Amino acid sequence: MKLVIFEDASYEQFYPLTYMRPTFDLRCGSTLLREKIERAFGRKADVVFVRDWLREAYAVRTSAKVNDLGALAGDDLVLVNGRGLWIGDEFPPAGRDACAMAGAEIVYATLTKHTAARIQAADFAGFLAAAAKAVPAAKSGLKLLGYPWHLIEENGAAIRDDFKRIGRSGVHGTLGPSAVIWGPQNQVYIAPTAVVEPCAVIDTQEGPVIIEEGARVNPHSRIQGPAAIGRDTQVVGGKIREGTTIGPVCRVGGEVEESIIHAYSNKYHDGFLGHAYVCEWVNLGALTTNSDLKNDYSTVEIKVKGQLFDSGSTKVGCFIGDHTKTSIGTLINSGTVLGMMSNILGAGCLLPKSVPSFVMFMDNKFYKAGLKQLTGTARTAMGRRKVTMTPQEEALIQRLFDLTKDDRDELIKKSRKEMMIQRGLR
Amino acid sequence: MAESIAERVKNVTAELLKVDPEKVKDSARFVQDLGAASIQSIELVAAFEEEFNIEMDQDEALNVPSVGEAVAYITKCVAEQHGK
Repeated sequence: MKLVIFEDASYEQFYPLTYMRPTFDLRCGSTLLREKIERAFGRKADVVFVRDWLREAYAVRTSAKVNDLGALAGDDLVLVNGRGLWIGDEFPPAGRDACAMAGAEIVYATLTKHTAARIQAADFAGFLAAAAKAVPAAKSGLKLLGYPWHLIEENGAAIRDDFKRIGRSGVHGTLGPSAVIWGPQNQVYIAPTAVVEPCAVIDTQEGPVIIEEGARVNPHSRIQGPAAIGRDTQVVGGKIREGTTIGPVCRVGGEVEESIIHAYSNKYHDGFLGHAYVCEWVNLGALTTNSDLKNDYSTVEIKVKGQLFDSGSTKVGCFIGDHTKTSIGTLINSGTVLGMMSNILGAGCLLPKSVPSFVMFMDNKFYKAGLKQLTGTARTAMGRRKVTMTPQEEALIQRLFDLTKDDRDELIKKSRKEMMIQRGLR
Repeated sequence: MAESIAERVKNVTAELLKVDPEKVKDSARFVQDLGAASIQSIELVAAFEEEFNIEMDQDEALNVPSVGEAVAYITKCVAEQHGK
């Protein structure tokens, strides 16, 4: 059997979170969507399919074959949509042809090698469409995530599921004097090299808390389950509230509620982050704060593919792309999207609901940012964590810089005119 | 008579950085002599783009050290983009 995980055409709905990664490498719970799929099948993906322009950068990060249609030959196949949230007990039938659907969308399909051999297609999309027609369809109980806030909505349940599947609980690392596990003692997993320092509170009353290898929880931190603290992450005090995942190698303090910090990002200081997804290499300056609830309790609108879209949810925070940085005191409205590699200087009032990628935002205006300078800064930030930017990643960033040009050009031109008037130059 | 590119560059620089126009000489360096902080440098690039209706490469523009070199760089951009 070959495990095939694919990214479908919905990846744009997750921008900017999916600029630098396939949809199936988004985090929900303590693990990535792909890792849940691999765990369910007890094996690494053999083949993955991603959008064409992500192929080279992703190929250096994975042992799977990438976008290789020929690799599907000669074996039974399980084709899994990478947007699926694999929690719970559903498992595909082995050794027969079947297609599991969520509405009109494919969650997964299983094909015997004989059926797979009969399918002729020029690309994977064609192969998948033909497969779906060739085999009997049934309704799946698994969810397909469609938008960024779905990751947040499902995060608590995903953490509970991840905890269950670790298969172990208890304190295997260090629990300092006066550190407390408040609630069921079997609802915590503290990995062998993790350290919970004195006077920290791990609150398991409402859900489990996972603290992974090398993580360190400083004094006066309160972590309320369900929550997951990733490998080598440091919680530097403050309130980590329910439904929060902090991925590997982050430094996080202040107040965080129902949010996902993907990996390698810092929110060291005070300030509130709620119902948010923060990508890699982000730095949130001291007192950066986002709203996640409107004063009139109405549903939050958010820009998706350039259009304002009603999320249908009253609790939506912000979504921040890779390498973006905010200054001290940045204030972010509910449902705000901050693109990747932007440098944002708060001006004491709420940011616009959408800040495009690769801009300098200051004095409430958008300015150009130099790509070489941004890339140099990114390389430095990564080097500080002993991570090297690959040439393929650098090429991907250049591609994304070009791809997002139209999103920012008009805003920059408009801002230039406003600045000239304000400075008395017009 | 229309102002030259050099005059316009110097006027924009003096106005935006709030410095005495007499100090804005060809040899004046934006950071060391005219006190342009990093944020002002970004505004200055934007102001030149608006003044001359040109687009400049941000990495190149931010590395132009002096007023005289800015005049030369902008003159080149104007010639390339407007054929003058």
